[in-house]
Amino acid sequence: MPIGGFVVNLHPDKIPEGLARLEMMEGLEIHGSDEKGNVVVVLESQTSEQMEEMVKDIMAVEQVLSVGLTYFNAEDEVEKIKAGTYVPERSFGRKPLH
Amino acid sequence: MGLSRREFLKRTAALTAASYVGMNLPVSLEGEAQAADADSWHPGTCRLCGSGCRLELGVKNGQAVALRGISKSRTNFGYLCMKGMLFYKLMGQNHPERLKKPLYRAKKDQPFKEISWDEALDIAAKEFAKAVKAHGNNSVAYYGSGQALTEETYIFQKIMRGGLQTNNVEGNPRLCMASAVGGYLTSFGADEPIGSYDNFERASCFFIIGSNTAEAHPVLFRRIMRRKMDNRDRVKVINADPRISPTSRISDLDLVFEPGTDLAMLNAMAYVIIEEKLYDEDFLKNYSVFRKGKDKKQVSFEEYKKFLSAYTPEKAAQICGGNITAEKIRTAARWFATSEGTMSIWTMGINQRSRGVWANNLIHNLHILTGQLCRPGADSFSLTGQPNACGGVREGGGLCHILPAHRLVKKDKLRHQVEKLWGIPQGRIPPKPGYHTMAMFEAVNQGKIKAIWINCTSPAQSLPNCDKYIKGMARDDVFMVVTDIFPTRTTELANLIMPTAFIFEKTGVYGCTERRSQLTRKAVDAPGDARPEVWIVREWALRLSKELNDPVIKKCVEPFMGKEPDYELPKAIWDEYTQKLTKDRDNDLRGATYEVLEQLPDGVQWPAPTKEFALKGGTDIKFVRGIDPLADKHAKNEMPYQFYGPAHPDKKLWIWLRPQKGPQEMPDAHYPFYLSTGRVIDHWHTSSMTGRIPELMRANPYAFVEINPKDAEKMGIKPGDMVEVTSRRGRNILPAKVYVGPCEGMVFVYWHDMYSDRMINRVTNDVWDPGSKEPEFKICACRIKKVSGPKPLKPFIVQMKS
Ligand code: SF4
Repeated sequence: MPIGGFVVNLHPDKIPEGLARLEMMEGLEIHGSDEKGNVVVVLESQTSEQMEEMVKDIMAVEQVLSVGLTYFNAEDEVEKIKAGTYVPERSFGRKPLH
Repeated sequence: MGLSRREFLKRTAALTAASYVGMNLPVSLEGEAQAADADSWHPGTCRLCGSGCRLELGVKNGQAVALRGISKSRTNFGYLCMKGMLFYKLMGQNHPERLKKPLYRAKKDQPFKEISWDEALDIAAKEFAKAVKAHGNNSVAYYGSGQALTEETYIFQKIMRGGLQTNNVEGNPRLCMASAVGGYLTSFGADEPIGSYDNFERASCFFIIGSNTAEAHPVLFRRIMRRKMDNRDRVKVINADPRISPTSRISDLDLVFEPGTDLAMLNAMAYVIIEEKLYDEDFLKNYSVFRKGKDKKQVSFEEYKKFLSAYTPEKAAQICGGNITAEKIRTAARWFATSEGTMSIWTMGINQRSRGVWANNLIHNLHILTGQLCRPGADSFSLTGQPNACGGVREGGGLCHILPAHRLVKKDKLRHQVEKLWGIPQGRIPPKPGYHTMAMFEAVNQGKIKAIWINCTSPAQSLPNCDKYIKGMARDDVFMVVTDIFPTRTTELANLIMPTAFIFEKTGVYGCTERRSQLTRKAVDAPGDARPEVWIVREWALRLSKELNDPVIKKCVEPFMGKEPDYELPKAIWDEYTQKLTKDRDNDLRGATYEVLEQLPDGVQWPAPTKEFALKGGTDIKFVRGIDPLADKHAKNEMPYQFYGPAHPDKKLWIWLRPQKGPQEMPDAHYPFYLSTGRVIDHWHTSSMTGRIPELMRANPYAFVEINPKDAEKMGIKPGDMVEVTSRRGRNILPAKVYVGPCEGMVFVYWHDMYSDRMINRVTNDVWDPGSKEPEFKICACRIKKVSGPKPLKPFIVQMKS
């Protein structure tokens, strides 16, 4: 179960609406926010693919301007890979990275 | 009270994030007796785009388990994006599908067999030697990558040129960066941007054109966003693109033009700047000249003015279509010219065009006219897509016409310099440039190339009109070696596959968009028998030398003999490249030794001729006396700016007269739509999308076609319907996404899908820019047709059949 620490940036004019939208999201904890629109958020998910989806959902929130990852831990997931109980998706192989 | 492990990790995550924005949280980890989150942390560079974000990899029991950004790094200040987060899964033992053993088959319809490294290297040497003996030196080729380390590109090209005596050295940056190179050389006389990322915090106007920065470079976008949001009245953002994208969330002005009309728009901005006398007369007088045509004829300011009269804002607005009005063009030009510092940013939308170099020139023109260069916040800044397109391929000699450190193959003096530095006989490197990418694969098609080495890239998927070139790669008389970490569409066409080490499994340098070189040291073991490329090339060269009975090939790797491959070997290669080859060149990297790079959180920006200078970070603005040591060294007069670039003998900036030129293929009665392509999967607009299909969007590894709602209505296409996209070259069948992204008359497809019906490069056009030889991926003509309602799709990934 990966854990990620993020700074989410809300539009400074839309902080309350943005916070309200974030609060509704599952697996998301808000640890603090400031008047510039910085929000400290911790995400917890079943798999890292799922966390990627969660980040995309956060980005789809209208009041959100950017989502910055600062810390990520997947020790559980790596254990599962080792044990063979989880096979990570290869979301990219050698696709063109132009 | 002790915390649970998860609570401990969550607090660690929260506290790390909070420390970045100076926020105090009511929790702490003091007095917590816990096993640390990782045994050791290893600094390095993310390899998934060209931003050059620095991060630390957390390793536990020999495996990558965690990541955190490096907050002191001047590229990303510790922030990362989701792509950056997920790459740990590809590392070490973490991914079951990694290639682990060399694989071989004599014929391409046979199954692969596992072989030993000795056998693999022997086969590679024999096949290349055989081709050279029977068909000459130009029957062999190397096709590399902007994802390869600098040491790798450098040693590959050294063996090809000095050893095998061919300039058939290319790489995928030709497909994305070549027009930017051409633009910098022809406008400024020297490749690569003048300024740095730190202009993001100093600019007062951003001119973003042909770049969906928010998605393609999210960490850099964050800096632009912060600058804008903290200075909302003072900072203006102009976003110019045929497609509305998330980048528009921070823009003051959106210029939505029809694909391929931007040259007219840029000329019209220049027209306004001159008409309203917004140009910088002193800057123009001191530092620039006007030129036109193939023979670079110098012309007068008056002639330039006359040329621009075809591009009044009114005329341009008619050409550009979309939402463009004369007034919008005027506003953009005024903001651009009068801000305290204007920074332009662009990527593939400008480069991947049949007149990509011209488009680059016209952006630079605006900066030269207004003197928006060399001062804080003012810069004409092309962003790269790959982590080492600049450092490895542009600087390290990874294209057919350039030798290491920005030397042109065709210049005898420069070629002989390289031969001397390598200690090989004069005349060893042929004077003629090799095949550029599209010509190289055409030569493969025609059977002129008999042995090709493809490293760390998948041309079978990434070339435009790829069906045509797959046929060549599939020929049984074309021997193909592929070095990579995963099976791809290209390994499917190989005779020999060699498994390689990934980043953090080997040591080497990446050079990002802002002329910055950064070192990543090995932190985990590569899986199975995967090896670093530098070792593979050295061992291959020794065998080649024997096969061809040519001691010069051995001479090329002599300085690297006996070095262990994980650190000593790449270090020796880097030392040769920097200390010998970059000495006194514009990308002088002599100060940026491994020892220096290891001491810095981020790295060094060239020019950095000495260690003392490199330890301070290097040069953040080129050409400025007192900042750039080479500007002082090459100074011809007392002026503050010295444009010493090697390509302009007059040491001036060149303003070019470049007319509007549309794409090579325009929509017509048979193919009435523009097709544009891009690289990012996005969910940004899902909330505003008409009719979201959650299942479809959830599992999103496959591509879809974006259609403007007005067009969709006309064509009777609903969200999720399966749509056939056909061009003169091929067709795809993709699910439709209906939303106001692309303008009317245009459809947009992402190019990441490996499933053959959704590989959009089967449809794109393989014409190229005559200047840069970069193909026109971005625009061609197509037609669309609904073929059925929504269908469940499965993501598709190439698997290894052995
Ligand atoms: S922005 Fe690019 S370099 Fe930075 S973390 Fe994301 S993919 Fe990696």
